[in-house]
Order: sequence, then structure tokens, then C-alpha cells
Amino acid sequence: MTGAVLIEALLLTLLVTSLAAFATRWLGSWTVRSVEIVHLVGLTLALLLTGTIIAKVLRRETLYALGDWLFVDSLGAIFLGLIAVVGFLSGVYSIGYMRHGLAKADLDPRGLATFYGFFSLFLLAMSMAVLSNNLVLMWVAIEGTTLSSVFLVGIYGTRTSLEAAWKYLVICTVGVALGLYGTVLVFASANAVMAPPGSAMLWTEVMKHATSLEPATISMAFVFVLIGFGTKAELFPMHGWLPDALSGAPSPASALLSGALANCAMLVIVRHAAIAALAVGPHFPQTLLLVFGVLSIVVGTLFIAVQRDVKRLLAYSSLENMGMIALGFGLGGPLGVAAALLHVINHSLAKTMLFCGSGNIVIKYGTRDLRRVKGMLKTAPFSGVLLMVGFLAMGGIPPFNVFLSEFLTVTAGVKAGYGWLMVVCLIFLTVILASFVRVISGSILGPAPGGMSRGDPSAWTLAPLAVLLALMLAIGVHVPGPMVQLMSDATETVLGISPTHAADTAPTKETTWLK
Amino acid sequence: MKETDLINSLAGLLIFTSLLVIETRRPSRAAQFYSLQSLVLVSIFVAVGHMTGSTELYLWAASSLLTKVILVPAILYFALRKFDAVLPLPSAMRIAAVVVLAAVVVVGCALLVAPITLPMAEAFRPALTVSLAHFFLGIACIVTQRNIIKQIFGYCLMENGSHLTLALLANQAPELVEIGIATDAVFAVVIFTVLARRIQRTFDSLDSDDLRTLRG
Repeated sequence: MTGAVLIEALLLTLLVTSLAAFATRWLGSWTVRSVEIVHLVGLTLALLLTGTIIAKVLRRETLYALGDWLFVDSLGAIFLGLIAVVGFLSGVYSIGYMRHGLAKADLDPRGLATFYGFFSLFLLAMSMAVLSNNLVLMWVAIEGTTLSSVFLVGIYGTRTSLEAAWKYLVICTVGVALGLYGTVLVFASANAVMAPPGSAMLWTEVMKHATSLEPATISMAFVFVLIGFGTKAELFPMHGWLPDALSGAPSPASALLSGALANCAMLVIVRHAAIAALAVGPHFPQTLLLVFGVLSIVVGTLFIAVQRDVKRLLAYSSLENMGMIALGFGLGGPLGVAAALLHVINHSLAKTMLFCGSGNIVIKYGTRDLRRVKGMLKTAPFSGVLLMVGFLAMGGIPPFNVFLSEFLTVTAGVKAGYGWLMVVCLIFLTVILASFVRVISGSILGPAPGGMSRGDPSAWTLAPLAVLLALMLAIGVHVPGPMVQLMSDATETVLGISPTHAADTAPTKETTWLK
Repeated sequence: MKETDLINSLAGLLIFTSLLVIETRRPSRAAQFYSLQSLVLVSIFVAVGHMTGSTELYLWAASSLLTKVILVPAILYFALRKFDAVLPLPSAMRIAAVVVLAAVVVVGCALLVAPITLPMAEAFRPALTVSLAHFFLGIACIVTQRNIIKQIFGYCLMENGSHLTLALLANQAPELVEIGIATDAVFAVVIFTVLARRIQRTFDSLDSDDLRTLRG
């Protein structure tokens, strides 16, 4: 199959899956079984198609579709792959988790059909966002991610989840609208130097002319872009919706919001930062990313330290980690960018694993309050072990993957001359690890409360966690060759070295260290 | 009168209509004012299209006439009409304060727009200022109004502001782009209204101060 067909097939698969899932609501007593089958088949197909697309990109092809409006380069392939993996695993997890919700009458079969319908629709919007070469289409897709995930947040219809959904909708539509101003300013200034108008909207084309764009306009545009899309990339101080939405949503949906959505918005910011770096010089976008990144790390850490609700704790951990990613891009240079890309992957896997794991806590204890969750290791041994190791891995303990990218980010910082700032970051990372150890000792270890039955939730809720943990360990021990290739190619794209890599592009000296 | 003058005066009229939308108490009336405002917006599209010879703008005007003058106001009108009888919530600001705020926003935006030296921006600087100001007025409406219905109208105003900016700076963009943005806007309004109605049913209130159980 050609690249265009593959891309179109992927989007069509997600769209059809979504519509079919919505339609199962009219199947009466067959609704639950049929929607689960539709959901699993659709996600499996999407995963296979994404795998095929990435295999093509690994052969150093850049795939285009819909008249160049959609494309996959190495940078996009990383994010597309994450959406597919996180979407598939949290999708499998939701089978077990949502069955529990059905049993407890948190929602009815029709509600379940709605949930799975929006689940695939959300994946479709996110895939569009990372596939988009058209800057305005990128914006349309990001706005689409908000609209398609609002009802995932508010699916239970309780007071807190409706409140969280409203806050999410209001803050994100306002934020993303600011992003539109940034996008329009970039188009208008590209249109002044490029012809025809249609091409001034394509990222690949704008990158070729980026050095001749008007610096003052592009600077202002990047500020709008960073604040606007930063709202969805979960950066401080635009993160007001984050803890509410992530704690109000069902756990697999929280995993998507944190493990996939934030990355999509970050990719849009990075693509605009690449334009700004060429038009204005790298110092301006990097400084802004650095400042927002460090602030997010500081604020995230402070809230993690005092949090007693496990999902809010994980939400603030997302704030901190997206800050870490922004910091990596802000430090810049091949090392900083590669560290940030690796952290995108590592954080996604780890956070998906922990959000799904927190779902097991909710299933077992019926609460997210860590003061009431005790002795998980005794009541649900497998979940307990997985969560314990997951928290340690997220906290940056080797040999897991998060350690690797945090270490690389700090190294990049020291190399870039930010030694003192890196010391401060390390102190904050230590506080986070201590907070996670507190969760482990308080809620996972220790005696179980009396009268609780022993036993894990179903295999549906355990297998995805185990797979994610295995992936985290594998990447931590040895970053696989294909991943290294994607990351070093993507690093060059971000740095504007080869916006569309030719077949004979050899990795530069700076990125060969990854191998 | 020169065409640019006409366009810039029409843009000024947008600010006036948005004050009407913000200050009207009954949702059904606010929906009508919103429709009126969109009509002004459509006429700006036609005027700019006539002046620049950009045929895309006529298409934009047609699609906006359909979505913003008719469809979205109708959705808002019929979905929110039943809240007309609900006791109006006190505005967080006095009318005078809102007018002063509007003036401050316009001046601020004029300063923000001043350094932009793009060819399109030169001719339409006042209109561009208004479009940005209009956007921030929408945000101000969302922030200052306690009534969640008013927050929906705040979104609509914001969206009209950014639509005008788009028409002034990016009117040569392919029509499909505008369709994408308009589709998002229509779906956003639908989702806003569905959610607001569910909130009203669950909380028995439209007061955003009641939506404050989540903290920290």
C-alpha cells in the first residue's frame, strides 16, 4: 500500500470504529458485547496500520496524503506511534475497567457505547493533529481533541465530573483559540513571502522559507502558540483544568488525556518553535520553553508533595513531566531535543501505566483517597507489585526508562551551561521520588484493612500494565535501534537541519551518541 | 466613504453588538443579538471581499450566513429559551465597568497590533484591532460572568473575533480551512449547550460559583 492509502486507512478505521461504537447503543441486550468487539477490533487494526506506517518512515520515506495536507515524518511517527500504543493498551484496559463501572451501575450499556464511541473519536482527532502538515488543520484537530474528549471526562454525569468537564471545555477552548491567533499570524507572514497561498499553510513549505519570515510577527505568533497550545500541553500556568479533568475521567480516559493528548499539543508547539527558531533565532523560542518548563516542574512538584488523591497526584506529575519535556526542547541542541523526545515516549508509557494502575485501586477500594487505601500488596498482589514498580520507575529509578531521559535532560542542561538550574531540578526530582515512596509505603505496603477480600481485578486490567512495564524496562535497559533512528532523524527535523529528510541523509555527529 | 472606512466602522459596530450580548439578561434575546452581530460580521466579509477581490471571502460570507446568522443562534435560542424565566444572576461587573473594560481592551489591542507590518495589516489596522479586542472581550465575558449560559455567549463572541482576524489576515486560505474552523465552532456550541443543560439538571443552578467543589 502507498503512504497516502495507509494514512487514509488509519483515519477511516478510527472514524468507522467510532461510528460503529456509537451505533451499538440501539442493539439492546447485545450492546455491551458488540461494542467491546468493535472497540477491540478497531484499535487492533489502527495499531497494525500505524506499525506499517512507521515501518515505511523507518525506511526514510516521508508519507503524504490528501494533497500534502497530511504527512508523516520521523517526528510525527514518534507521536503517532505513541497514540496507537497508548490508545491500544488503555483501550484493552478499559474493557475490564468499564465492565466494573457497568456492574456498579456508574453507567448503563448505552453510556458504555457513548464512552467507546468518543474513545475512538478522540484517537482520531489526536491522530489528525500529529498527521497534519497544514497549520490550520493542526489547530482544527487540536480543537477537535477537546470537543471529542469532553464527554469522556463527564461520562459519569456526577456533579464533580460535570464540573470537571465544564472547566476543561471552557479553559481549553479559550486557550486553543489563542493558538489560532498564533497560527493565523504565521500564515499571514508566510503568505507575504510565499506563493501560492495554499502552500503558505503547509508546515514543510513554511520551514523552507522560514528564514525570510518577518521576525516581529513570528515572535508574537509563537507567544500566542505557546500559551494557546500550552493549555492542552499541560503546562503551568494554563493547567487549571488538568487535575479536575484527569481525576474526574474514567482511568483509561485519564491515561489518554495524559499519555497521548498532551504530546499532540506539544508537537504542535515544537513545530511552531522550529519555524520561530529559523525566523527569529533559536534563543527566543528556547528561552520561553525553558521558563514554562521549569515553572511547570516547580509547581507540579509542590502539588505532588501534598496530594492525597492518587489521580490528582498523577495529574500533577503530568504537569511536572510535560515541564521536563518543555525544558528539554528549551535547552535545545541535539542532546536537549533528543532527551525531550525520549522523555515524551517514556512519560507516555509510564503515565498510561500508572493511570490504569490507579484504576485498579479505584476498582478494589472504591476510592482515590490514598489515606483510605492500605496494604494493596496483600489485597491485590499483582496490581500491588505492578503499581509499586511503576511508581518507582516514574520516580526515576534505574534501570527503567524515565531515569534515562531525565538523566539525559540534566546532562543537556549542564552542557548548555545551566548547571545551577539542573541542581535545582534534581532537588525537585528527589522530592517527587520521595512523594512516590510515601505513596508506596502508605498505600501499597503495610497491613491490609480488615474484611477485604483478597484477589486482583480481571486479567483485562492486569495485562496492559504488565506490557507497559515490560516496555519501560526494555527501553530503560537498551533503547531499541528503530527508536534511536526515529529520534535522531526527528531531532534533526526539530533543529531545522533537514525538514524533509532525503533518503541518503546520514545522522549528524551530534546524534550518533544515541547509538 | 472609502471602503476601508466602511470596513473599519462596521468593525466598530461589532464591539457595540457584543456589549449588547454581554449585558442582555435573557438567553433568547442574547441569541438574537448574537445573530445580529454575525450579520455585521458577514457584511464585513462581503466588504473585504469586494475590496480585495478575494472570492474566498464571498464563500466565507455564505457559510457564515448559514452557520452563524441562522444555525448557531437557532440552536442557542431553542436550547436556552427555557432559562429565560430563571432569575437572572447578578453580573460580576456593572455596565459602566464593562464599557470601561471594553475601552481598555481596545487600546491594549491597538498597541499589540501596532508592530505588525504585514501588507494586509496596514490597510485594516483599526479592524484588526477590533477583531483582537473582540476576542478578548469574549474572554472577559467568560471570566466575569457567573452565569454559565453567558460563558457560552462569551465563547461565541471570542469566536467571531478570531473569525474576523482570519478574514483580514488569511482570506486567501483555501475554503476547506474555513469549513474546518466553522465545523469546530458549531460542534463547540452544541457541546457547550448540552453540557450546560446537564449541569443545570444536576446542580439545579446556572451559577458558576456552584461549580467549585474541586480544589487543590
